Amino acid sequence: MAGVGSGYDLSTTTFSPEGRVYQVEYAVKAVEQSGTVIGVRCVDGVVLAVENLRSTKLLQPNSLRRVFAVDRHIGIAIAGIGPDGRQMVSRARSEAQNFRNVYAEEIPPSLLAERLASYAHVYSLYWHVRPFGCAILIGGWDETSGPCLYIVEPDGSGYKYRAYANGKGRTAVRTALNKLNFDQLTCADAVSEIALMIHQSRDIAKDKPYELEMAWISEVCDRQFARVPMSLISSARQRAELEHQQMEGDASPGADAAEAAGTNVMEES
Amino acid sequence: MHSVKLVPCELTTEPIVTGSSVLGVQCADGVVLACDTLASYGSLARFQRVTRFHQPAAGVVIAGGGEYSDLQQLFRITDNVYRQEFCHEDGWELTPRALHQYLSRLLYARRSRLDPLYNTVAVAGKGRFLGMVDMYGTAIETNLVATGIGTLLALPLLRKRWHEGLTMDDGLACLEDCLRVLYYRDCRALRTIQVAKVSDSGETFISEPYDLGNLQWKVAHAVTEKLMI
Amino acid sequence: MRPQEDQTRFTESSWMSSNLGPSAQQALISHQRSWSPYVDNGGTVLALAGRDYAVVAADTRFSVGFSVPSRNLTKIVRLTDQAVLASAGMGADRQYLHKILRSRLEVYKYQHQKQMSLSAIAQLLSNTLYSRRFFPIYAFNVLGGIDDNTGEGFVFGYDAIGSFEKVKVVCSGSGQTLVQPVLDQQLAGRQKYDLPDDQRMASLSLDEAIELTRDVFNSAAERDILTGDAVEIYAVTGSGVRYERHSLRQD
Repeated sequence: MAGVGSGYDLSTTTFSPEGRVYQVEYAVKAVEQSGTVIGVRCVDGVVLAVENLRSTKLLQPNSLRRVFAVDRHIGIAIAGIGPDGRQMVSRARSEAQNFRNVYAEEIPPSLLAERLASYAHVYSLYWHVRPFGCAILIGGWDETSGPCLYIVEPDGSGYKYRAYANGKGRTAVRTALNKLNFDQLTCADAVSEIALMIHQSRDIAKDKPYELEMAWISEVCDRQFARVPMSLISSARQRAELEHQQMEGDASPGADAAEAAGTNVMEES
Repeated sequence: MHSVKLVPCELTTEPIVTGSSVLGVQCADGVVLACDTLASYGSLARFQRVTRFHQPAAGVVIAGGGEYSDLQQLFRITDNVYRQEFCHEDGWELTPRALHQYLSRLLYARRSRLDPLYNTVAVAGKGRFLGMVDMYGTAIETNLVATGIGTLLALPLLRKRWHEGLTMDDGLACLEDCLRVLYYRDCRALRTIQVAKVSDSGETFISEPYDLGNLQWKVAHAVTEKLMI
Repeated sequence: MRPQEDQTRFTESSWMSSNLGPSAQQALISHQRSWSPYVDNGGTVLALAGRDYAVVAADTRFSVGFSVPSRNLTKIVRLTDQAVLASAGMGADRQYLHKILRSRLEVYKYQHQKQMSLSAIAQLLSNTLYSRRFFPIYAFNVLGGIDDNTGEGFVFGYDAIGSFEKVKVVCSGSGQTLVQPVLDQQLAGRQKYDLPDDQRMASLSLDEAIELTRDVFNSAAERDILTGDAVEIYAVTGSGVRYERHSLRQD
């Protein structure tokens, strides 16, 4: 890539004449190649979902997760380089515990997002470090305002969203997210919608099989972080595949087989 | 010999606000813990309605005596351990025995730093687990726990009344009797008490503070008259 | 606060000055009088060896002052099927020592694909104790077992900071002064001095050794208030470790 920035892309400490920091933009590229990651804030909670791409069938189901619990009321989904994301998760856990030790209260998700954004930002300032190759979605339950969704990007910016998508299928999914009615959407609905969105965003001929990884912080699980039950995910996924087939009219049989293999991986666990 | 300038620093080596005895009994169908709700400031009955119990998770209860601030710190540390377990999501949950060992290592490490947590802690949990840890970090699993002055006044009574097949209700009655004896003789005891029950299967109940009741002072004059001689 | 006096006391208390951080050292100065990290939980431990066996025994009483918080706290750890360790002294230090020894032995097993030999354990225990030379582990250990190569029984006696001696019979803890003379008289007594060391011990069978152990513990429990409740006896032979337990006085 050295040629792209003509020498201005070697360090985060160097701006290009147009005012860009190429190293940070490359980090964003790492995120864009990731499996699709979706977060949706609903009326009764917030759902985090990941299209967890499986490079080989030899991988154990549920290994290499991309959604993590940070505290009882907060979870994080990772888009981009997994290890970088886990570093953020680790930092998030320390921040959450530290806040609790000082104030004997749960950390507000907004504050956690702010602190993680600052943390990510620091890694775009010095020549001896590299920016985080990940964007994270923070789903949490705020004691005063209820369920909420934040994102933190490699450049250290943070936003609050109703729903957000990142990774390979982001464009298609963001369009689909725009059509949701957030005033009525429940977590259970969102699970089905997300399964469909992820399925439709995929290029069946080209994409690797995937595991659908989902967690929520919702009323149904006492406002605590919890994995969405496997049975719910599987049925949502089957429905999505069926719906997709009906929309497409005639899907090629070869692609069906590939997708079915993906489903099997899920059911084994 | 030592060029470093040494400035004295304060660590807990003498408790200030203290809780008195904690009692515990292992029964056929579970474990019962009991203690009063007093935190004394020296001889002053300073805080009369504080809980010395803590439930970090379903099926585990810990209760402690000694320095109350250290006890609160110990409860916070325990909570953090359980929160970390929650985040791991590995399907494993800390057993009461594991927590008991953890606390013993914590207290041992602190005493070895000469910065002790000035507490004696009882751990009760599902599977009829009962254990205690002292401020030095000694871990003991027993069928009967009595800490502080309770070791002298309550433990002999509990040993006399304990038998195989004791039910939790009977066990609770034993502990209440012992707390009555302690209230008669321990100047740092209170008649407001709290109890915790953890059944074999992990059903956990911590009572609200309640009055011990059924106290009998008719014989008190005999004691004072004898003292007058 | 009299700084000059405290400085003096610090230099005098060199017994724990080396391994501690500055804050702990400072704590030592200001609080040495009011709080001690040590407590004596009493108890008696014993080990004796015959030609092809070793016996390790200890009572199960756990005392704090004149109270007995537990009548059933073990002082013995089975380290391998050839070595058993018993420690009197402070309960917390003992539990710590037993824990780290067990983990060190486990690591050794994976690294060397064999159990640690009795003599190696003896040296490891000494090193472990000496590593805390200036903040001693308050445990008085007796280690018993059989030799890897010869199958001969041996025991090792220790002080708290790692001095040790390979012997045939040793006793430590609160009942030491009561028990050791009896063992000496019975096993290494005057009337038998004309016999070589190995023959003296060889004349004692395992059953007799266990009988003797029970007798001396019953005797110690009669007069030593820190010894009692029950005695645990581990017999190490070529065919493994055998465990038995008998009641003692509970008062």
